[in-house]
Amino acid sequence: MSDGFSAAPAIEIEGLRKVYDGKVVAVDGLDLRIERGEVFGLLGPNGAGKTTTVEICEGLLEPTDGSVRILGRTWRDDAKAIRERIGVSLQETRLFEKQTVRELCALFASFYTDPRPVDEVVDLVGLGEKRDARYKALSGGQKQRLAVATALAGKPELLFLDEPTTGLDPQSRRSLWDVVRRFQAEGGTVLLTTHYMDEAEVLCDRIGIVDHGKAIALGTPRELIAGLGAAHVVELEADGLDLAALRGVPGVAEVEDSAGRVIATVERPHETVPALLAAVARAGVELRGLSTRHTSLEDVFVHLTGRTLREDQREDGR
Amino acid sequence: MSWLRWRVFREVTAMALRDYLRTPDAVFWTYGFPLGMAVVLGLAFGEKPPDPSRIVLLAEPAAESSAWAGFEKPATDGLAVERSDDAARAHDRLILGAIDAVLSGTPDRPVIDVDVARPGAALAELRIDAALRRARGEPEGPRAEIRPVDEPGGRYIDFLIPGLIGINLLGAGIYGVGYNMVQMRVKNLLRRIHVTPVGRAEFLLSWLASRFGLSLLPPFLILLFGILTFGVPVASGAWSWVVALIVASAFCFGGLGLLISTRARTTETVGGLMNLIMLPMWLGGGAFFSNQRFPEFAQPLVKALPLTWVTDGLRDAMLGSSGEGFTAPVACLLLAGFGAVTCLVSFRIFRWT
Ligand SMILES: Nc1ncnc2c1ncn2[C@@H]1O[C@H](COP(=O)(O)OP(=O)(O)O)[C@@H](O)[C@H]1O
Ligand SMILES: [Mg+2]
Repeated sequence: MSDGFSAAPAIEIEGLRKVYDGKVVAVDGLDLRIERGEVFGLLGPNGAGKTTTVEICEGLLEPTDGSVRILGRTWRDDAKAIRERIGVSLQETRLFEKQTVRELCALFASFYTDPRPVDEVVDLVGLGEKRDARYKALSGGQKQRLAVATALAGKPELLFLDEPTTGLDPQSRRSLWDVVRRFQAEGGTVLLTTHYMDEAEVLCDRIGIVDHGKAIALGTPRELIAGLGAAHVVELEADGLDLAALRGVPGVAEVEDSAGRVIATVERPHETVPALLAAVARAGVELRGLSTRHTSLEDVFVHLTGRTLREDQREDGR
Repeated sequence: MSWLRWRVFREVTAMALRDYLRTPDAVFWTYGFPLGMAVVLGLAFGEKPPDPSRIVLLAEPAAESSAWAGFEKPATDGLAVERSDDAARAHDRLILGAIDAVLSGTPDRPVIDVDVARPGAALAELRIDAALRRARGEPEGPRAEIRPVDEPGGRYIDFLIPGLIGINLLGAGIYGVGYNMVQMRVKNLLRRIHVTPVGRAEFLLSWLASRFGLSLLPPFLILLFGILTFGVPVASGAWSWVVALIVASAFCFGGLGLLISTRARTTETVGGLMNLIMLPMWLGGGAFFSNQRFPEFAQPLVKALPLTWVTDGLRDAMLGSSGEGFTAPVACLLLAGFGAVTCLVSFRIFRWT
């Protein structure tokens, strides 16, 4: 395929806005460029606008403003050509309850011009043993893998996965990650959304952190974490600590107060922790807890928004 | 045909077929229910001799009893007489339809209370009158013979079978096509399919074809049942019209089901639409009772109901006449035309989301 389209990036989003019912601003001026072969993660709390963004890219929703190009094409001019080349797993997918794994893959494969052999798709997502099981008899993780299988049935170049692992157990999540990595190894591009930091960190080449419909940070996981200035985090649980005093401790890059806990980013914990403890002792407050860990994307989010992701993760909403 | 690929047709029809066969309650409602109804209604209105008219004679036990003596003979005149002095209770029973008439006054000046709106009223009056005249010793004269209609072709069951077939096809279209399609939308399945390259007409036509095929079998089963159990007649030359009418009806109601499913986003919306369409047809479509007795102003309305076309057409073909209704060929044309129009409109205005 050496048409002009194959050189274009997988996804180009410019000035994207989506306002529901004239009042709910779900996406608020988003710019994004996703290259071919990337696994790109949209990371953000519930209601951040991830699903809205992805569904505009999938041609399911009309943008209020701004433009989207998929594989160099626009939805207005080339809808059918785009659909032939993308695979989609929606956030809320319930497939036909009474059909088996094989039957569902065959059904979706029939929609494409050049589909993948059905048994190959089934094996690809590791559902070989369940090929004759009906959809409703599958576990949550198996259902999710089947949803991805139907998305892979048409040999897509670009895969959209909207919260593919939400609510799954760790093992199911990992087996889905494998599916994504294998797809990427064959040259595919992936746009996925998640509100799991660890997932974004281990799976994605690049991440866009979105909040209130805006991209507030963009980069590789390493870049984003490095942006915080230090590689470790020390969490102190105590009331009445003087943040300014802690900032003065040598080796402390940053101090933030997050829901009753003080979070200090430090370069060398083995040197700085004793100094921090000494400062706590001088303040004469009771220390209820102390922990250190590597800086994570979670800290990046806290730093950027002043909130933790988990505060926002109520299991309502989309 | 590039807009309709064989692969898609095969997979979608197979999916819909499996979906149906793996839903035992759907199979029951399409097969068990109409047959059960045919049995119950067939037995209730089948080949029984006409019931005697049940009347209550209001009279004081002692005083006038002798006056009525000649009247109270057993039910030779088709009367089942019961004596009572409780006028209020007799009146209540009359209103509820438990009895057909209340007789009071004296044999010389009898008073008959009837509910003229009830089917048995006129017959009860006739019978009481005859019995009274005989009791007075008036010459009998030539008496009209009352002949209950019970030969095949003229019974209620013969009228009913075409109605049941129509009702069954109506349900298959509205529920089988319409409701199930909206369920797919509610469950986000249509959105999922929309992001694939499958075409709208391609998908809808394949889906419709499967439900259409499924809806063809039960009508013939109902017909067969009527023929074997009650001896419902089908004139030998009528079979091709019966088949054509059933096929055209399945197409017509399938299209109608598709039409109501094109935009409805919730189960409640489609439920309302289903009632809106089915209720007038159940009442005015001539399935259970003739709609030709509706008042003049209502005739254009009942004639516009597709169920009327089915029941008229089938009665014309099977029983040789549909009275003032449509003939089989006209009904066939109307049904097929309506199906074609609803399908084409549906393909245009259908929404995936
Ligand atoms: N169909 C809709 N109508 C109105 N508001 C909506 C609709 N879908 C989503 N929203 C709102 O838009 C915002 C973004 O939602 P969404 O894109 O689903 O976020 P996310 O996927 O990140 O959780 C939320 O405030 C949500 O309530
Ligand atoms: Mg979402």
